[in-house]
Amino acid sequence: MGLHRFRPPLSGRMGTLRTLGTIRGAALIEYGCMGHMLYSRVFLNQAGVAEGCRLYSTHIDETDISMGDTKRLNRTIAEIVEKDKPEIIFFLPSSVPTVIGTDLNAICKELQPEYPDIPLLPFGAGGFHVHGYEGVEEALLLLAKELPKEREKTSHPTFNIIGSCADMFRFQADAEEMVRILKGAFNMDPVCVMTSHTSASQVMDMGGAHINIVVRREGEKAAKYLEKRFDTPYVIGRPYGIEGTLSWIINISNTLGVEADRDFVNQEANGARNHLRPAMPVLNHMIRSHPDEATISLGGHADIVKGILEYGHKELSLYRGDCWCDSPDMGDEDIPYFSEEEWSKTVRNRKKGIFMGSGEALKWAGKGLELQISNPDVRWRLSPYDPPFVGFHGAIHLAGLWLNALLEQEEEEE
Amino acid sequence: MIELKHLKRLSAVKSNAGIKFLTPAAFPGNHCPMHTALALSSNIKGMSTLLIGTAECGNYSRSIIEKNKPDDHTLHWMYVLDSNEVVFGCRKGVMQAVKEMEAAGARAIMLISTCVPEVIGEDMEGIIRELQPETEARLNYVQMPHFKCNSYPSGFYKTLESFVEMMEPSKKRPDVVNILGRSKEEDHIPMPELLQALEARNMTLRYLAPKSDITDFVSAPDGALNLVLSPYMNPLAKRMEKRFGVPFVSVHEVYDVDGIDHLYHDIAAKLGIQWGDGFQKSRKAAAHSEAEAKEIVKGLRFVTTHRNTLMTLPLAHYLLKLGMDPLLLHMEEFYPDDKRWSKLLLEQGQNPYLCHMVNEPSDARMLEELSPDVSFGEIPGGNGKIPFVPHLDELYGQAGYERTELLLKRLISALK
Repeated sequence: MGLHRFRPPLSGRMGTLRTLGTIRGAALIEYGCMGHMLYSRVFLNQAGVAEGCRLYSTHIDETDISMGDTKRLNRTIAEIVEKDKPEIIFFLPSSVPTVIGTDLNAICKELQPEYPDIPLLPFGAGGFHVHGYEGVEEALLLLAKELPKEREKTSHPTFNIIGSCADMFRFQADAEEMVRILKGAFNMDPVCVMTSHTSASQVMDMGGAHINIVVRREGEKAAKYLEKRFDTPYVIGRPYGIEGTLSWIINISNTLGVEADRDFVNQEANGARNHLRPAMPVLNHMIRSHPDEATISLGGHADIVKGILEYGHKELSLYRGDCWCDSPDMGDEDIPYFSEEEWSKTVRNRKKGIFMGSGEALKWAGKGLELQISNPDVRWRLSPYDPPFVGFHGAIHLAGLWLNALLEQEEEEE
Repeated sequence: MIELKHLKRLSAVKSNAGIKFLTPAAFPGNHCPMHTALALSSNIKGMSTLLIGTAECGNYSRSIIEKNKPDDHTLHWMYVLDSNEVVFGCRKGVMQAVKEMEAAGARAIMLISTCVPEVIGEDMEGIIRELQPETEARLNYVQMPHFKCNSYPSGFYKTLESFVEMMEPSKKRPDVVNILGRSKEEDHIPMPELLQALEARNMTLRYLAPKSDITDFVSAPDGALNLVLSPYMNPLAKRMEKRFGVPFVSVHEVYDVDGIDHLYHDIAAKLGIQWGDGFQKSRKAAAHSEAEAKEIVKGLRFVTTHRNTLMTLPLAHYLLKLGMDPLLLHMEEFYPDDKRWSKLLLEQGQNPYLCHMVNEPSDARMLEELSPDVSFGEIPGGNGKIPFVPHLDELYGQAGYERTELLLKRLISALK
């Protein structure tokens, strides 16, 4: 990974932890130095995860490393089982056990008979070449493979959301908005919002859902597995903008073979349009007369950048600026991956226009954090009630942000 | 009966490795020493840092830097090992990183290596030795693997100890006393009477602590005496004595009134000054509290918890003098000096269990089963039935008669 002036990309281990850390009723044991888990807990606290997985660490010392002694794990499991009685225990290696090659799979297999009622589930993504989003992908897939039990489809329509995880900025509000729309449009309730709003038992019930809503590309493997095992169809994508959200609803409707509630959808879409209408002349004027300022540059997760760009560019006619993603595994011609050197240079060189990116990048660039769309964050996010970026509510929220950002630029020029 | 066989007694402990967890599941556990090494280094004005480790270390370290907000144009960069470097070493990459930092304006760089570079045996000393002749920036390094300790204090004392490498020999100034472990900006901790008395005798006090200027450390060998107020500073004081001949006195380890008498005597002799009767009032108050405490605490069994920020073994040694019996002691760190205190305790027939507490609710249950007469430090998550001496963190950075009086007042109050 080399030299970094800003936060380096997450490791696969961190991605896994941020995926599992929100699951209620579960315990997670990180095998390794306890500083890792302490900092991960700080991250989850700052991200607003109030109730989730019980997070433990075993710590590890020189003797454990040189002798390959893993008895700490046995004692830790026994203590947690006695005290917490979790539904499941996840295991994660930290960096040192990864280097020395501790075989968590074998250890869990060996210890499982002692705890017949509590699955011991080891996670990987420990390698030093693995990026954070790969850790998310692997964790989602492993959860989908190992936890769900055989279930009849629910009597009324239900869905799972796959990929709403704590590593993403504003993940809670976005998930809530999608749940709200699905309830209104299809009268569907969620079985499992994996993993931001779920318990271990809800993951176990996933097979009963009628459709899987995959909200980031890392969730597709899990959805494919569930499709094969439970015959559950899936749709993939994030609903940005008014038209984008309508397309997302139509896609779900087609996949489910169920028509969306026209009254609800029209009311929501028209409500959003009506809400934006008074501002549109101002916005359109700014776009026509200040094209440099009316340019959006975006940096973050590829799916989020792509979605927000489509809304801003296609629906509101904002100009496309520099847009990049934060994972080398996701970059393509449309949304390339930018290293920190590339994005910092890009941000520095672009004097005009609207920039939405990570809290760290915005702070460094001296810009307001209200335009944050990605992590790393630099503030606590205690409130789960912040406005979303997705759905009809998100469309209004984003348009408001852009309008004010344009006006602020105009004021600065004056 | 509570089972403590998984712990070691004092006689069997020679380093951090011997201190076992009271209960096994860390929840949340402790910061790693990288945290304190970086917090300390980045707080020294003029010092840049290069953290060497994994993506985890790199990410977490930014929170420390963002909190400290160094505003002195220093650089705080990270070198993250890739999978190839985990196998073949990161020497080349680190050397290139240092050169880039120097080119970007760093004038003094602390290299902080973390767990993985230490596991793979990266030779930091060799890297520095090779780089320094061709680098104008002053280079220094500390090794901060968390697997060599349970908690963070080594991040402080090893980093401070490493500062000796930046110091230069200079002519002694008889009126200069280095205060190790207190910052000039530390208004929240009362100024020890001892330091006030030194100032009143026209001694120049040079405060060496986080937020000191790097130049203060560089010129510290000109001091006539090092006064140590913190366990984090003892190793540096020892190195300075050995290398530059600056004598030191550790004032934070002594609690008993007679001991403080000797200590102050020693300081006056070393500086060639007279105290007069300036300490009489506080001495009398401490002696009174000591006599009162001896009546009350004789034979009481005590524990210390993770909420005790004072050095555990010197405190236990003093409590033993008052007639108390140590039962179970939480050790945040087994400091290099603890071997001496351990010997003193063992010589007096005391061999308590040592432990590290990392899980408040579970540890509280164990302590309640153990049922000591008093705890030094709160017991979070407990039932509140064990009397405890609270807010010991307020005694950190204090010294002398007034600290002893405060400690004893709180002890007596806890038992009443």
